[in-house]
Amino acid sequence: MKLLHAGARLLDATTGEVIGGADLEARVQERAKTFADLPPGVLFARISPDVPGVLSYLAALVANRPVALLDPAQDREVLDGLIARFRPAAVLGIHDADPAPGYSGDWVREDAEGVVPHEDLAVLLPTSGSTGNPKFVRLSRAAIEANAEAIAEVLGIDENEIAPTTLPLHYSYGMSVLNSHLVRGATVLLEGSGVVGRGFWDAVTQYGATSLAGVPYHYEMLRRLRFDPSKYPTLRTLTQAGGKLRPELITEFHDKMSAVGGRMFVMYGQTEAAPRMATLPSERLPEKLGSVGPALPGGTFTIRAEDGTELTEPGVTGEVVYRGPNVMMGYAESEAELALGDVVGGELVTGDLGHLDEDGFLFITGRIKRIGKIFGNRVSLDDLEQIVKAHGAAVAVPAGDKVVVWLDQADSDTCKAAAKLLSETLHLHVTGFDVRPSDGFPLLPSGKIDYRSLEAQV
Amino acid sequence: MNDRLRAVFVDALQLDDDVDVESLKYRDIEAWDSVGHMALIAAIEDEFDVQFETEQVIDMSSFKVAVDMLKGLGVSE
Repeated sequence: MKLLHAGARLLDATTGEVIGGADLEARVQERAKTFADLPPGVLFARISPDVPGVLSYLAALVANRPVALLDPAQDREVLDGLIARFRPAAVLGIHDADPAPGYSGDWVREDAEGVVPHEDLAVLLPTSGSTGNPKFVRLSRAAIEANAEAIAEVLGIDENEIAPTTLPLHYSYGMSVLNSHLVRGATVLLEGSGVVGRGFWDAVTQYGATSLAGVPYHYEMLRRLRFDPSKYPTLRTLTQAGGKLRPELITEFHDKMSAVGGRMFVMYGQTEAAPRMATLPSERLPEKLGSVGPALPGGTFTIRAEDGTELTEPGVTGEVVYRGPNVMMGYAESEAELALGDVVGGELVTGDLGHLDEDGFLFITGRIKRIGKIFGNRVSLDDLEQIVKAHGAAVAVPAGDKVVVWLDQADSDTCKAAAKLLSETLHLHVTGFDVRPSDGFPLLPSGKIDYRSLEAQV
Repeated sequence: MNDRLRAVFVDALQLDDDVDVESLKYRDIEAWDSVGHMALIAAIEDEFDVQFETEQVIDMSSFKVAVDMLKGLGVSE
């Protein structure tokens, strides 16, 4: 398998166990064999940052079994809904629960009849958080491999890198950290406690982690922790994606890293692009502050104007369109759609607004689609408004790493209850929902809600 | 102090009334994840007018540890 370089290693931070080379290859092959007798269909893998989780993922790729990477903490109700819709051949990483209807005790589908997934399909990732009915992004093997290579190239990943798992592996950014290191024969340090855990920093020191990947809220935390790279002499690369980081924080971390001979990378991606589309070279960060960089090798950006024409001239703002070998095959909302081939032709209309500069560097300036990001997780703002409807009319707007939800004629208890409901429904921390009382929403002359003016108030 | 700290935990992590705050540990419950941890630290600092060091932030793994740290910072009630 191309993705697994012969030198790649997995290092379990909890046990200290190292698996690499022929041993890793053999264990992946052995695990892959267990998939041979399964009925047709994809695999569902509830994936944790540990050895069994990563082995399942790699084995699925070796066995040519498309695998959906799922949050191990996902609600049973949502999982059962996905199982009913996509009828996976088996569910991996679930042991302590009663099997879903139609599944045996070891979570294998009892019905031998099922849709055979498309031969190019390798990985399925859910589009957004854990709302009601997530759909899957269909990623081909070629897209995964192309993106892993391109990321490794722009970040200069080699076999000496040791990357800790700061992000969940079912999250596209987390998956890409894994892929881009395995493809270059580097080491992935499997650690689950996160950047505010004592275990994480002990592991960074003990195993000599060389990089750290984070979404904006990680950088807010690192700042809070007064992160000092001079205390971690091996840690010399920071990468940031998953939403817009405040420019002053970008500069702060760039300066911190530069002072110790390290690097800070700002990047741009979407799950639909497996996921990386752009990376700002560290050495150009000060002069291009606010940019996410040029397209990755093999990819291109254009800006689509309202009349549909596509431009690459500098300074023109419009919808960002990306083309490249890493773009998804399309979405899947049902088992039948797993058999589909590529329906998008390598073109991704991102829903983001932006412009290019004279060097082809992209600046993201806003969104066209009503989408917010909560701690790096994409959420539909319309969905949020629907969820809290019982508490009153609501308007949701993005606010950095959070969303602000205005609730008409609400008191503080109602706002609190609405925030809690959103948190529980979407499985995102309650502090990501800033619910505020409102006495009437601003309207446009057309009578529609004036979202822009509300966005300006957050 | 315990009562005040308990109230901070309940408020910052939006805990239900039946949660046994004093035996709670980091990552025991969904609400006390890394995001919750930072919200909690900020709320404790505000309530008791203290500032934690980096080491204290990553070591504050339970209610009990928080009590000890506050005592160490001279908070008595």
